[in-house]
Amino acid sequence: MKLTRGAKFALAVAASSALAVSLLTPAQAAGRSTVVVHETNSLTSFNANTPGTNLVTNSVVGYLSGSGFNYYNDKKNLVANKVFGSYKVVKNGADDFRTEWTVAPGRVWSDGTPITGVDLLLSHVLSSNAYSKAAGLGDPDGDAVPAFDSNGYGGTYSDNIVGEPTLSADKMSVTLRFKKRIANWDLYGPGVNAVHTMVLLAEGKKALGSVAENNAARDRFLTAFNTKNTATLKSIGKVWSEGYNFTEVNASTNPLFLVGNGGFLVESAVTKSSVTLKVNPKYNSGPALSGAIDTIIFKFISDGTAASQALANGELDIYQGQATADAVAALKKLTNIILVGGTGVAYEHWDTRVNASPGQPDYNGIFKGHGGKGADLRKAFLLAIPREEIVEKLIRPINANAVVLGSTFSVPGQEGYDRLTATNGSGFYTGSQDALNAKALRLVKKHYPNASPSNPLKVNVLVPGNNTRRAAEFALAKANAIKAGFDLVGDVKADWPGRIGNSEYDAVFFAYVANSVAQAGSNANFIIGGGNNRMGVALPNLDTILNKLQFPLDNRQVTSLIIQAERIIHAEGITLGVFQFPAVTAYNKDLKNVKPAPLTPTLVWNYWEWSY
Amino acid sequence: MLGYIMRRIGVSIMILFGSSFLVYNLAAYAGDPLGELRFSTDDNAKQQIIALTRELQLDVPPPLRYFLWLKGILGVFVGKLEMGMTRESSSVQGELAFAIPVTLRLVLVASVTALLLGLAFGIISALRQYSRFDYAMTFMAFVLFSLPIFWVAVLLKEFMAIQFNNFLSEPSIPLRWMFIFSCFTAVFWSSLFGGERKRFWSVFAGAFATNFVILWAIDFTDWYLHPGLGPILIGFLSVGIAMGVASISTGLTNIPARNAALTMAGLAVLWYYPAQWVFNNHGSYLVILLMLALIVGTGFICASLFSKIDRGPIARTAIITGVISGFLIFIDRVMQTWAPYRATDAVNGRPVPTYGQRKDQLVTDDFWLNNLDTIMHLILPTIALILISLAGWIRYTRGALLEVLNQDYIRTARAKGLNERTVITRHALRNTMLPLSSLFVGEFVGLIGGAVITERVFGWSGMGTLGIRAINSYDLNLLMGVTLLLSTLVVLGNLLADLVYSALDPRIRLVKE
Amino acid sequence: MKLFGRREKPIGEILSGGESAIANKEVEGLSLGQIVRRRFFRHRAAVMALFLLSSVIVFVMTALETKIGPIRIPGWWKWTVEDIPELRFEDCPGGTIGCPTLSVNPFSNFGLGTHPFGQDDIGRDYFALVMNGARRSLMIMFIIGFLAGFIGVVVGSISGFYGGIVDAVLMRLVDFMQTVPIIIVAAVIGKTAGRVGPVFLALFLGLLTWTGLARLIRAQFLSLRELEFVDAARVAGASNARIAFKHILPNAIGQIIVSVTLIMAGAILTETALSYLGFGVVAPDVSLGLLISEFQTSFTTRPWLFWWPGFFIITIALCVNFIGDGLRDAFDPRQRRRISKKDRLKAKIEVKAGA
Repeated sequence: MKLTRGAKFALAVAASSALAVSLLTPAQAAGRSTVVVHETNSLTSFNANTPGTNLVTNSVVGYLSGSGFNYYNDKKNLVANKVFGSYKVVKNGADDFRTEWTVAPGRVWSDGTPITGVDLLLSHVLSSNAYSKAAGLGDPDGDAVPAFDSNGYGGTYSDNIVGEPTLSADKMSVTLRFKKRIANWDLYGPGVNAVHTMVLLAEGKKALGSVAENNAARDRFLTAFNTKNTATLKSIGKVWSEGYNFTEVNASTNPLFLVGNGGFLVESAVTKSSVTLKVNPKYNSGPALSGAIDTIIFKFISDGTAASQALANGELDIYQGQATADAVAALKKLTNIILVGGTGVAYEHWDTRVNASPGQPDYNGIFKGHGGKGADLRKAFLLAIPREEIVEKLIRPINANAVVLGSTFSVPGQEGYDRLTATNGSGFYTGSQDALNAKALRLVKKHYPNASPSNPLKVNVLVPGNNTRRAAEFALAKANAIKAGFDLVGDVKADWPGRIGNSEYDAVFFAYVANSVAQAGSNANFIIGGGNNRMGVALPNLDTILNKLQFPLDNRQVTSLIIQAERIIHAEGITLGVFQFPAVTAYNKDLKNVKPAPLTPTLVWNYWEWSY
Repeated sequence: MLGYIMRRIGVSIMILFGSSFLVYNLAAYAGDPLGELRFSTDDNAKQQIIALTRELQLDVPPPLRYFLWLKGILGVFVGKLEMGMTRESSSVQGELAFAIPVTLRLVLVASVTALLLGLAFGIISALRQYSRFDYAMTFMAFVLFSLPIFWVAVLLKEFMAIQFNNFLSEPSIPLRWMFIFSCFTAVFWSSLFGGERKRFWSVFAGAFATNFVILWAIDFTDWYLHPGLGPILIGFLSVGIAMGVASISTGLTNIPARNAALTMAGLAVLWYYPAQWVFNNHGSYLVILLMLALIVGTGFICASLFSKIDRGPIARTAIITGVISGFLIFIDRVMQTWAPYRATDAVNGRPVPTYGQRKDQLVTDDFWLNNLDTIMHLILPTIALILISLAGWIRYTRGALLEVLNQDYIRTARAKGLNERTVITRHALRNTMLPLSSLFVGEFVGLIGGAVITERVFGWSGMGTLGIRAINSYDLNLLMGVTLLLSTLVVLGNLLADLVYSALDPRIRLVKE
Repeated sequence: MKLFGRREKPIGEILSGGESAIANKEVEGLSLGQIVRRRFFRHRAAVMALFLLSSVIVFVMTALETKIGPIRIPGWWKWTVEDIPELRFEDCPGGTIGCPTLSVNPFSNFGLGTHPFGQDDIGRDYFALVMNGARRSLMIMFIIGFLAGFIGVVVGSISGFYGGIVDAVLMRLVDFMQTVPIIIVAAVIGKTAGRVGPVFLALFLGLLTWTGLARLIRAQFLSLRELEFVDAARVAGASNARIAFKHILPNAIGQIIVSVTLIMAGAILTETALSYLGFGVVAPDVSLGLLISEFQTSFTTRPWLFWWPGFFIITIALCVNFIGDGLRDAFDPRQRRRISKKDRLKAKIEVKAGA
């Protein structure tokens, strides 16, 4: 075939324009309705409650797709989710303590099935050792894995629950009975589970059931629960323990696994890469959604630097992590980003040894014994730690709002913190560092008149290895402590956690991770025989105060008790808080109402308020 | 031969047994998998310790636990391989099965590209020994040898992703940069051609001017927003390729070969629009493979049309020309996807990513969009890997080729009057490939385990990431899974390298006869 | 374009005697050492690298105080890594702190200033830190080089010299070492190496990286032991050890030195990579790798913290590589001197004339 030049040209033009038209058609999105959130770890399961899958990312995805009775907010307060239901103490006896949990009527799962009190019962199976044994599901303390491989066994709930939860006549509420009053009882309520989907899954179903089928399936569970039908429960246990351990979600995924009552439901997931959630159209179990966001994507990026560069490159909308000072400075320069300094759940503190911890050789260092010389030198030592300088140089570049901790029981911003620090004896340790050094040197000279910056006392300090910030912290402490007559001899150990109790160390510094806000959370650090009491603290009057924290109290009472306890701790120079670990949250400046929170589920806690 | 291979495999299994025992115990004693839990303030930390101890059999001392693990591994002989569970309750096999393709995709592209580039630069470097180009390549190779990869990664991300994306939002090349860039390219070309001072400067001037004009044209037409080659440019390039391929493959004196190559170049232009139609309506790898087969077939036909004798080299020339020209059309199509790709919600105008294997929020059935997305995510890590392994190939190739060029048979070949092209391509290069082929096996295996840092900084969840995770969480089963796989690869790689070497080089015998 | 040496005058008439004639003429009456030295010094880049590396080593080693047992040799630099001077805020760009005072502008503030490389987060002098890190990295590099070189030579030469069962066993040992993935085992060890410091890390890496060298030396020995001079020595009544170390080894020395330089250049990068992953040198020890990975995020904010350790790593590795290249050329018996352009032209004409 022979074409004239003109024909060829016309053909070329036609083809090019056809091409151009076909290429330019992909529609441009009108406005963003997607939020891409950074998570450090990959999703490993859609059930975050087994020992192996108990990871933040799994919990966060679980939080978005399932609403319960309460949640932690950005101030570390437990907030009741009144939309979903209500709970109260119905009997407040010393040996018969009962709480009642009621689901508000009309709440539905995403498959349209109404939520009832029966959905609260599985939680008991997952938490009570006694039930597990009685129902033939295996002993959680034994050698074999129980039918429900739950990480909820063996805690306060299991130790104190009496019998089984009782379901009200209308099946909308559940009453729990405990053998004594328990502190923070609102933390030990039932969780909500779509048991009908597990029953259907256990029966091998592959598609969502009708509401009637679902209700019938739920009744089958109730029967099995009440009669402790081992076989049925075991088959559900298998689904619960293993069925949810998948990380790839697409059109072929069994929809029964994805039923939830949260604002967003898992739509798709790519192994080790991301999980995408879409808005749940039937959502009515929590605060109403702002409506502007219809997709939330979690992108898994383990390297902090890489994640902040990804944010700078617009691949993420929200970044959270323990960034370095430079990463923060770099993020600050970006104009399309809002940077919020925040705090993590860990807090750094310096401890001094009072005595040998159990199983260790005798401690005969300068800090030995309560009261008198030991206490004076311990106080002097803690005075000589330049806390303000440490926070200024190491923490504030990351979190500009960071302050020196005045308590190891409570953190800035928590209710009662200001009253606490004003009267808990922490004032002794605040002031200009020169004044503190002088005060410390006076205390030292009381017992060692010859001690001076040129003739210092040796203090053996365990320095956690593998950590640049702690190396710098120790360098600062060493440089200042010499002015108060202490020569810090650091022993850097990578395997420091196992060595904290060793008698060869006069002082240690590390961080505790406070994952919840239980009143008695710090008790183990100080009471005689406490699991974390590695510095040989033995003060019966302190124990008396701390033991009172194990019963339900109102916030004011709690604060008063902590003030009493910390006065003793500060007067003895046992421990001194330095800083909360800084965390950084940075997000797309168009996104509104992002509020970083230290406790799980971290910043997604108020996802319903997010909007562009 | 079979006996030799069987014996080697037998010894290898013993070696693997020994090394896995060593690594298992080293790792088991290096850290406490429960360490973190012991410090947890969780309400039921004790219960979690019990559960984990049970799951990971921590109550069995490591040397004995090794045999429990080994029992699962030996199941491979009865078809029931059991590598245990990770701490996160997933199966180690599953984790490995997921990670291997990821690593392979990353490493394969990078090592093949590095090999090809390294060969090219190394060969030129050796042929122009002690020239400016040679010095520049040597210097560059050593600089690349000396770069820490994560350091390179940070720079790449900053300049090639973040800054480039910023640039794309307000694209315009400053004159200053056009000038500097053109200078660089001109120096490259002129030192490549070498020659007397006069020739150097004339090449320099030519290259500089060409480059400057191209850059200016790119800038003027906003080409980087709507890139593409178009049939005209493809035509010009194809003719150039045809001449180049012909001159290297058969020499330009071979008229039928030259004509066949030029015909293929012409066909490439003619096929441009039909190819567009096929690409747009039936884009898939299968179709592309079919088109490749079509090109090869056409090459044969072309060769037989132009010559009755000695068709082999002519067909080769025609096919190589056809494939490269076809590749240009493919590239052109990928370039055309650039604008719609940038416009998608997922990309949001920032096409060069710093992280990950693909954009999961890009949900589309479009073959080309998905393709470009994969390519864009491969770009930075591939460049980083190429940069570090390129240096090795340049040096190896240069050394090997110089060694061969010193051999007597090269002298003989020259002495009997063969032209330089034949001596180099036929006698020298083939012998240079011998040691390089076995090196490639080793390098490739090394990279699979050695791309740890690249994977980490670019967020690829391959073998390296898996290994690091295993170490950091004291996940013994996972660590052993990774180690065993890598060591098996090393053993097989060594064997394969020996076999390849003996197969290619008849002088080498593995078995004493 | 005279980056690597001066163009030499054409050799003219010597060439007509053939290539080997040039080489023979050149080395007549010289010992191996002299030949190597001559050839090495002709490699401009290598000489420059050697000079630069020696200067860096002297510079780094004398900057800070050195402790050898009870002896303390003071360093010439005013700060140590323990000092924590005040952080400098004045005239730093973009609100940063601790910026460098080094100024190469001859018209304003020319000179080092108090902190030529700047200061780290808590105010420590970055020059002192970089010097300390470079010292560690150099030490690691040399320990690995020597240890791996020593083991590789011993194993390789024994294996190659004796052959047979000894060879088989030793080579299986080499295989064994190679199946242990360095990065993973180094990481496992590194997790605990925080306790024992960088010397242990270096020793450990040295114990793992000799395998390639051993294979190389073995191959050399396998071919060299078949040559006539070995038979001659044997006839003369030399012992096995004498033959191996006095006769064969010197012939393999070139390969050995070159490989060791490559191992050393690789070692400094291995250390860097491990430190980046957190398994190498860990705080409070300092190495260049640790500094660079710690401050990789400084790139856009406090670039001096990122560039300086990188600069030293690249300089050291580059110098070692160039020295290795120079040595390779110097030891290679087939090595000819660079043929100038004119000679090449002439040769081309000859080839053409022959064709």
